[in-house]
Amino acid sequence: MSLITTLILADFTTPERVGVTALSMLWLLPLALSVAVVYKATKVSEVRAVSFIRESVVLFASIIVFMLVTAVALLGIAWLVT
Amino acid sequence: MPPRSKENHIVFLLTVGLAGWLIPGGGHFILKERARAIIIFAAIVLTFAMGLYIGSIGVVNPVTGKLAYAAQIMNSPAVAAIGRFTKGGDYAVFGKPNEIGQIYTSIAGLLNLLCIVNAVYLAHLKETERARA
Repeated sequence: MSLITTLILADFTTPERVGVTALSMLWLLPLALSVAVVYKATKVSEVRAVSFIRESVVLFASIIVFMLVTAVALLGIAWLVT
Repeated sequence: MPPRSKENHIVFLLTVGLAGWLIPGGGHFILKERARAIIIFAAIVLTFAMGLYIGSIGVVNPVTGKLAYAAQIMNSPAVAAIGRFTKGGDYAVFGKPNEIGQIYTSIAGLLNLLCIVNAVYLAHLKETERARA
């Protein structure tokens, strides 16, 4: 097995370091993008590059905005309760 | 092309569903929806691979993570092969990497399930339209 193959396989057998910090929330972004792209791939009647990208970006932005609004609302509730 | 018989129609729908499970986007590829198939394949494989990269193959565990495994297996039967490696507990992973890795791989599986259902529905629609024409 070549060194490169070994290194690639090693990457998938050792977990990454992910701290319990606010920055770890950024892992949400690639997942939201994936959800938006796959969902739009099943919904659009015809896949055309420009319109597909535009619709996926709009859905991606909607997901992020909604999650931000939810986070702020939950923070507000937590602030009121504690 | 003449419409398929009812039995052949069911076999065709099952084939489309099975192809979508074997390879993400495979169902759409059979339906000649090439662009859709490529997008689905790339997005689902990248999401699943990213989950394995973050949490290691230990996030796929049919013994300790049964619920997540039920969603992960929707990606492809290849997940079962990973599960055979990890069920012994040699690749145990804990904390945030486990959490994020399981979320990524499970969501990828559920997205593939959505695509399988969509491919089968498209196949049924195409067949119905062909029968009407």
